Amino acid sequence: MVRIVFFGRLSDASENLDTELPSGVENTEALAVWLAEGNERLAEAMARPGIRVIVNDEVRHGPASVADGDEIAFMSPVGGG
Amino acid sequence: MSDDRIIRNHPFDPQRELALFEAGLSASGAVVSFTGIVRPGDSSDPVEALELQHHPRLTEPQIAQCAGGVRERFGLEAVLVRHRIGRMAPGDTIVLVAAASAHRREAFEGADALMDWLKTEAMFWKKEWRLSGPQWIEPRTDDYADARRWQEEIYARHQ
Repeated sequence: MVRIVFFGRLSDASENLDTELPSGVENTEALAVWLAEGNERLAEAMARPGIRVIVNDEVRHGPASVADGDEIAFMSPVGGG
Repeated sequence: MSDDRIIRNHPFDPQRELALFEAGLSASGAVVSFTGIVRPGDSSDPVEALELQHHPRLTEPQIAQCAGGVRERFGLEAVLVRHRIGRMAPGDTIVLVAAASAHRREAFEGADALMDWLKTEAMFWKKEWRLSGPQWIEPRTDDYADARRWQEEIYARHQ
């Protein structure tokens, strides 16, 4: 089981999920593709520039491996102030 | 009682926070502060509320780390950051930043650099609720250009 959480615009497109990783989905890039299948709103939001990915509270640049027990966060562009 | 939490989910009084910050200084001759306030929007489509999300575990340490980097880089005695999350109304304070140093230049620049970082790198997400409906507010091109002025030396190791 992995936990998938969404922040910002992405959080409007999908609820947070606890799910089994489908076979063949071994990194964050494949996971994003799998999540966006059948969710047009999420696909549109994920295709925007500036999405950041965090695995187990660590920012990852580029595809990062995912495994059972991980928490993966997908974040829309950040900005406060 | 002083409250050191950076992230606040209830309104805070920026004057009080600033007074407490100044009371704790011992080596500064200059304090520069910035207060960000929820805009009212325009009269044809007023802002009813601004909602801020944050990352429950990462946002606060991320800001603390950047504030430390800014303090070092500009040789500041101290740096203050207070940031709201949750639902706010126009006129509410979103953010307070203050920088204290021996002389004014470093304090101005430190506060400026920290705000540019908060605008583009801090883990917050803003949703504006207008009469016409909700809209996510993401950093503008200008915000990224502002942040690039300080590049690398401060931010690179604090992301």
